[in-house]
Amino acid sequence: MVSNSNINNVKTKTIGEIFSKDPKIICRNVDVFYGEKQAIKDVSIDIASREIISFIGPSGCGKSTFLRCLNRMNDTIDTCKVKGSISLDKEDIYDEKIDVVTLRAKIGMVFQKPNPFPKSIYENVAYGPKIHGLSSSKEELDFIVENSLKDSGLWEEVKDRLQSPGTGLSGGQQQRLCIARAIAVSPEIILMDEPCSALDPIATAKIEELINQLGKNYSIVIVTHSMQQAARISQRTAYFHLGELIEVGETKKIFTMPKDKQTEAYISGRIG
Amino acid sequence: MNEYTLLILLLLISLLWFYFGNKTALSLKNKQLKLNSLPHYYGIYVALYSIIPSLFSYLLILVFDGILFSNLIMEFVPKEILNSPDFNKIIVLAQIDNAVRGIYFGEQPDWVTIASNQMIEWNNQSLIVNFFCSISLALGIGYLGFKNIHQEFRSRNSVEKIIISLLGLSSIIAILTTIGIVFSVIFESLRFFAIIPASEFLFGLTWNPQFEGAERAGSGQEGLASYGSVPLFVGTFLISLIALCVSVPIGLFSAVYLSEYANKKERSIFKPLLEILAGIPTVVYGFFAALTVAPLMRNGGSLIGLDVASESALAAGFVMGIMIIPFISSLSDDVINAVPQSLRDAGYGLGSTKNEVITNVIIPAALPGIIASIILAVSRAIGETMIVVMAAGLAANLSFNPLDAVTTVTAQIVTILVGDQEFESAKTLSAFALALTLIVITLILNFYALHVVKKYREQYE
Repeated sequence: MVSNSNINNVKTKTIGEIFSKDPKIICRNVDVFYGEKQAIKDVSIDIASREIISFIGPSGCGKSTFLRCLNRMNDTIDTCKVKGSISLDKEDIYDEKIDVVTLRAKIGMVFQKPNPFPKSIYENVAYGPKIHGLSSSKEELDFIVENSLKDSGLWEEVKDRLQSPGTGLSGGQQQRLCIARAIAVSPEIILMDEPCSALDPIATAKIEELINQLGKNYSIVIVTHSMQQAARISQRTAYFHLGELIEVGETKKIFTMPKDKQTEAYISGRIG
Repeated sequence: MNEYTLLILLLLISLLWFYFGNKTALSLKNKQLKLNSLPHYYGIYVALYSIIPSLFSYLLILVFDGILFSNLIMEFVPKEILNSPDFNKIIVLAQIDNAVRGIYFGEQPDWVTIASNQMIEWNNQSLIVNFFCSISLALGIGYLGFKNIHQEFRSRNSVEKIIISLLGLSSIIAILTTIGIVFSVIFESLRFFAIIPASEFLFGLTWNPQFEGAERAGSGQEGLASYGSVPLFVGTFLISLIALCVSVPIGLFSAVYLSEYANKKERSIFKPLLEILAGIPTVVYGFFAALTVAPLMRNGGSLIGLDVASESALAAGFVMGIMIIPFISSLSDDVINAVPQSLRDAGYGLGSTKNEVITNVIIPAALPGIIASIILAVSRAIGETMIVVMAAGLAANLSFNPLDAVTTVTAQIVTILVGDQEFESAKTLSAFALALTLIVITLILNFYALHVVKKYREQYE
């Protein structure tokens, strides 16, 4: 347990409001190293329940690295070391007692390129519930699959061909399938790593609409290269630069009156 | 002077042309003219231009004068030998040829001496003709190529074209050889099927070619020999099956370990060690099977009350399985590594353990490639000979019991063709029929493997 007394008592260079009233995830003084190289420097931020927060910043600024710390996906990289504390519901996720498997079931993830398994649409969505034993019968599993596909807006398009391969769908449909697959395990938080960067504008619009819908029930952290996208969908925006969290704040404020010069430079298109 | 001096001369001429071509191009360049290609391409162009036609004519004359002379020399063979029932052109030619080389014992018949002297004279004349033809071609055509050199001549493109046709020629040679092998087997098999009906060969249950004698070949009566190939193919598949039971789990599991669990250092040690298995000659596996594994199995079997033949399918299949492990592990390792990292991430992102990712995501995604590697291993196992000859025995038992001695198609081909053989008998010819059937089976397996691999590739593009 992270004690309540010191979580809001933290030294930080970040400009803006890093704290939230109802924090789901609390990150304090997080450093990430790839071998000798430091990719994230002293980042502290809260992520609230049912908020959509976007991470923006130039390429290589560490926003994806930081995102992958939140569900310990960086564990798969041998040279990666994480320091500082990240807690989910006030439990340190890097504690030895935490089972990374259950953690990742609570924090779902959607990746940059749509990556459906080479299995049927049904099997793709049913994969998570199956390995976590979330259903006790075929009917229950069918119900979960149907609901997840409905929530991801894909049900009407695929309900007649659930047994055809997921890789046969279009790019946008594949990405929504991946979202359905992530929400099928009923996570509390969904991390999205540039989910629209491989999609065309129409598919992107559909995903953005879907993210807005999902924001009512889940906390969503989205890394994006598109500032317009961040402006359209997120309530809060965090600007990263060279591994540091420069500025956090309400999206409107960040985009209209950024306090930091670097943020302003990025938003007005001078760096990035 | 002989053929080799001629060859060296041709090479020297083309080197000379290279020098001249290069020099001319350089002089053009020194006149501040902008050349189309680098100077040495002009040299290479002239050199290739001179050597290819001259080499071609050299080889052509070398091949055809032999054929021509062997027909002309028949003039010198006495009528009584030509007309005698024992006349054999090959033997007569060999006799003359030996005289030409000076290899003979005792007195030669007069006609042989005359013919061989004539042959020597012809050979010398042909060499002189060859000499002049090749040299003049090398000089003449080389000169034509040399004349081609001017400022705008695209020698680089021409050299590319010549190189491309040389590369194409090499691959055609490989293909033609394969076709030649298949046809030589087909023609001999047809001769076999003229004696033994194909239905008997394909469906007969007894294989016993040892008693092939004059009865059958001469009078057309039933001989004692029988040519039912079923026991051989059953033996082949039994041994291959045992080999697969050994190699598929071990190969696959080691591939999974190498690609998913081993760290870089372990991988750099284990993978080459595993691939050493593929470098061991099969005859070494053979005596390992015959001298170590087979007695071990017989003794082990007798301990628990099993009657294991001293040459058993089990021993041969087991060792063959060890032999094909690297095929499966190495190829499977490659396909498992080819599974995109994004699929692994997807699995981990949903909260799978490493084991679940491997069994539910990676293996299904890599399955077509794994199947292809297994099929390639099967065709390797079916074609394997040495281990079987040494460890499985030669008794053509129709048995599905792995503890019995069985034999395989390849082992039988070896026993049939080793030693002095009469090429007209059904026994000898049966080897070709067996080979043909085997080629067809492995061909089908290979085609199927390629098809599976192709399907797999389509999935990830």
